[in-house]
Amino acid sequence: MIEINYYLLVSAVLFSIGVIGVLVRRNAIIIFMCIELMLNSINLTLVAFSSFLGNINGQIFVFIVMTVAAAEAAIGLAIIISMFRNKESLNIDEINILKW
Amino acid sequence: MKFDLETVLFISLSVLSVVSAIYMITRKNPINSALFLILNFFTVSGLYLLLKAQFIAIIQVLVYMGAIMVLFIFVIMLLNLQFQKKKLESYSYKSLTSILLAIMLFGILGYTVYFGFEGKFKGMSDKALEIGTAEKLGAELFTNYSFPFELASFLLLAAIVGAIVLAKKKFE
Amino acid sequence: MLESYIPIIIIIVIAVIFGIVNVFFSSLFGPKRPNKEKLSTYESGIEPIGTAHERFSVKFYMVAVLFILFDIEVVFLYPWAAAFINLESAKMLYSFISVSVFIVILLIGYIYVIKKGALKWD
Repeated sequence: MIEINYYLLVSAVLFSIGVIGVLVRRNAIIIFMCIELMLNSINLTLVAFSSFLGNINGQIFVFIVMTVAAAEAAIGLAIIISMFRNKESLNIDEINILKW
Repeated sequence: MKFDLETVLFISLSVLSVVSAIYMITRKNPINSALFLILNFFTVSGLYLLLKAQFIAIIQVLVYMGAIMVLFIFVIMLLNLQFQKKKLESYSYKSLTSILLAIMLFGILGYTVYFGFEGKFKGMSDKALEIGTAEKLGAELFTNYSFPFELASFLLLAAIVGAIVLAKKKFE
Repeated sequence: MLESYIPIIIIIVIAVIFGIVNVFFSSLFGPKRPNKEKLSTYESGIEPIGTAHERFSVKFYMVAVLFILFDIEVVFLYPWAAAFINLESAKMLYSFISVSVFIVILLIGYIYVIKKGALKWD
């Protein structure tokens, strides 16, 4: 029988790897993939608690989070495409017009 | 800890998921990153099965691996970054600081979740197998949670309109 | 519960082993006599034009995006289909109405897609 804290530890490791990816990489698409990884690790936490508490609300949350992730992927990648059209680059350090 | 099927599966799946996540953030080519992310999603789907959430596991395969990652790979091929591979990544002292900060974040998170929930639950709930099915999820989603469900449809509508408005120009 | 997944685990393991063994042994035992014609890209017998790393058209992206968003719609309908028959009649009507509203809202999006011509291929 696996205790809940092992599942939560795996989720924490995946979340931290996602954070490292977002902070270190400069390619916009890879940063976006790291955000998906973080969302996924949070889903793992929600499902773990849902199963251990015997409460279905966590799985409903996961369902809604997946919907949000799909909508976010559609819009985010469209933003990346239009960003690439204007700048011919995916490096987020070059996308700094809004920076004061 | 005795080594039954569940333990072996849990250890192999979690090690594979962490390794594939590390590979994902270190690959140079975005296509390789996307493929390792697919492997990671697959292992997380296996972990959902270990948690007896069958429907969520199938949805993970269907939505994340089947649809979202296909979109990612399409966009990578659409933008085709071969010609500017040289100067995309630059590492500096900032990267080192951010890695240190992320490790500290992991320290806090890991300490909290590992020691905070140690021995709090006497194993998985008896209802875990029952609530993971599509029937139970549907019965809950369409009665008590119908408002978030309708909001999800508005979100999808907004995403359809937004994607068309943002991407529907001549690309070349 | 986990025991019922043993056949699936076995088939995944066999599939992975089959793939690895085939690729490994054919590269181990197969004869290697490369020449220029063999190494060139196979394009149905025609001389290859350009590289495979051509930039794709944005039309593929449009189709993939719309696939995802309507895929999510269908995924929402699975649990409804599974749960519908076991609901009480009042909840049955309620869930039917809420799903109808959901589908009508996404139908508006679909009509918008058709009117904008986002799925036109030319």
